[in-house]
Amino acid sequence: MTPQFVTIVKTNQVPAGEVVAADAGGTRIAVANVDGTYYAFEDACTHEQCSLAEQGELAGTTVTCTCHGSEFDVRTGKVLAPPALLPVKVYRTRIVGDALQVEV
Amino acid sequence: MPQRHVIVGGGLTGATAAITLREQAADDSVILIGAEADPPYERPPLSKAYLRNEVPFDSALVRPASFYAEHGIDTLFGTAVVRVDTAAQFVELEDHRRVPFDALLIATGARNRRFSIPGRDLEGIYSLRTRQDADRIRAEMIPGRRAVVVGMGFIGSEVAASLRLAGLEVVALDPAKTPLFRVLGEAVGDAIARLHRAHGVRTIFEDSVVAFEGSGRVDRVVTRSGQRLDCDFVVAGIGVEPAVDSLAGSDVHLDNGVVVDECCRTNISGVYAAGDVANHYHPVFGRHIRNEHWQNAIKHGAAAARNMAGKSVVYDDLPWFWSDQYDANLQYAGFHTSWDEIVVRGRIDSGSFLACYINGGRIDAAVGLNRAKDIRRVMPLIRARHEVSLEALGDERVDLRSLQPVL
Repeated sequence: MTPQFVTIVKTNQVPAGEVVAADAGGTRIAVANVDGTYYAFEDACTHEQCSLAEQGELAGTTVTCTCHGSEFDVRTGKVLAPPALLPVKVYRTRIVGDALQVEV
Repeated sequence: MPQRHVIVGGGLTGATAAITLREQAADDSVILIGAEADPPYERPPLSKAYLRNEVPFDSALVRPASFYAEHGIDTLFGTAVVRVDTAAQFVELEDHRRVPFDALLIATGARNRRFSIPGRDLEGIYSLRTRQDADRIRAEMIPGRRAVVVGMGFIGSEVAASLRLAGLEVVALDPAKTPLFRVLGEAVGDAIARLHRAHGVRTIFEDSVVAFEGSGRVDRVVTRSGQRLDCDFVVAGIGVEPAVDSLAGSDVHLDNGVVVDECCRTNISGVYAAGDVANHYHPVFGRHIRNEHWQNAIKHGAAAARNMAGKSVVYDDLPWFWSDQYDANLQYAGFHTSWDEIVVRGRIDSGSFLACYINGGRIDAAVGLNRAKDIRRVMPLIRARHEVSLEALGDERVDLRSLQPVL
């Protein structure tokens, strides 16, 4: 199956240094803007499923889930600090015009 | 020459220290001794998801059981240390075996306070600290049964919430005017009381237990005001005390636990302490603080291990913890024992607020109910220890990240 990209948000809806929620056909995806580079990942902390768009604080490429302090690298989904043990799923992104697309 | 590191205490602090030592001092031997039979596990789920039977025990393990042997960490679980001899440098186990050390970490944690109340030895009266405690309470948690929760601190509050979520009838009792009255004050305490009442807990404040009654098994709690609370079981959350029995007669300086400096060192060279048992000199607050929470267990244990491996690491993380009750997320950051003033963002009666405890114009600590982001944002302000505009602090329109020191 060939990879499919779908538009989830307009880039100007994701301010620098912020994380916003988007929807990809029923899957909640969080989008982080790190100095103009966009990263997309599953919008659920792997610890207790808090929304990383609502509860996440972004500093550089690290998003902290403020519910319980888990930290993830938005580029890879890797856990940087517990209590989360499992990485968050990350999505490949591309920009088409003013649209941010993710591979689903 | 390779060193022999002995860690007494198989909780989160001891395990983190052992793992850290293995990374930091590859040639040294690491021996982890724990009184509980289970491999090290995290305690937060014991009052929440594990108590409600929503997650398996294994999900709480710090590392899989096989990890320690695979990484050259010697373990003695289910083995209590009864004595520490710092001069001859060994610890003595309950079976009289002696384990010698070059460096020792005391990470024995805390133990639950006990009642001195008539009837306390009846069956069906529990406290919660270990997996075994949680399993015993779980076995009582049949929907419709009646529980009395004695003490509405963080553990009592979390247990009350879990019992309600599991469909039990709950009466919660606390001698103060509200939950956490002394720590958080009346207004915030009231908000927590309302949360519990909204979820069907019957709360009784300014009253205390004078007797547990029953024949063999508790079936009634009698209070000072004369209330007789029929129940099927009781869970007490009346606080903990540092577990320092094995240090009686040693030269290790004890005062509200094991006294350590900012680098986790006791008064005895080569002897360290960390976690719940340690009364740690905290450079940010300029005083000793004993902290009984998850984050401290990990970070303090790791810092102690690095110092045991020859580094010089000052531990100055801001105390921080969470307490989830029902669908509410309560968090606390900083350290305070009193306050001149409480500055609130949001409204305390609204179910979402940040309350900052102020002394001399500085924020010592903050508690947030459903304000996780605000807690993160106020932490640098607490740590900075300078005065901020209290007007701006209490103004929701002002971004906490933009608050500057008042010069």
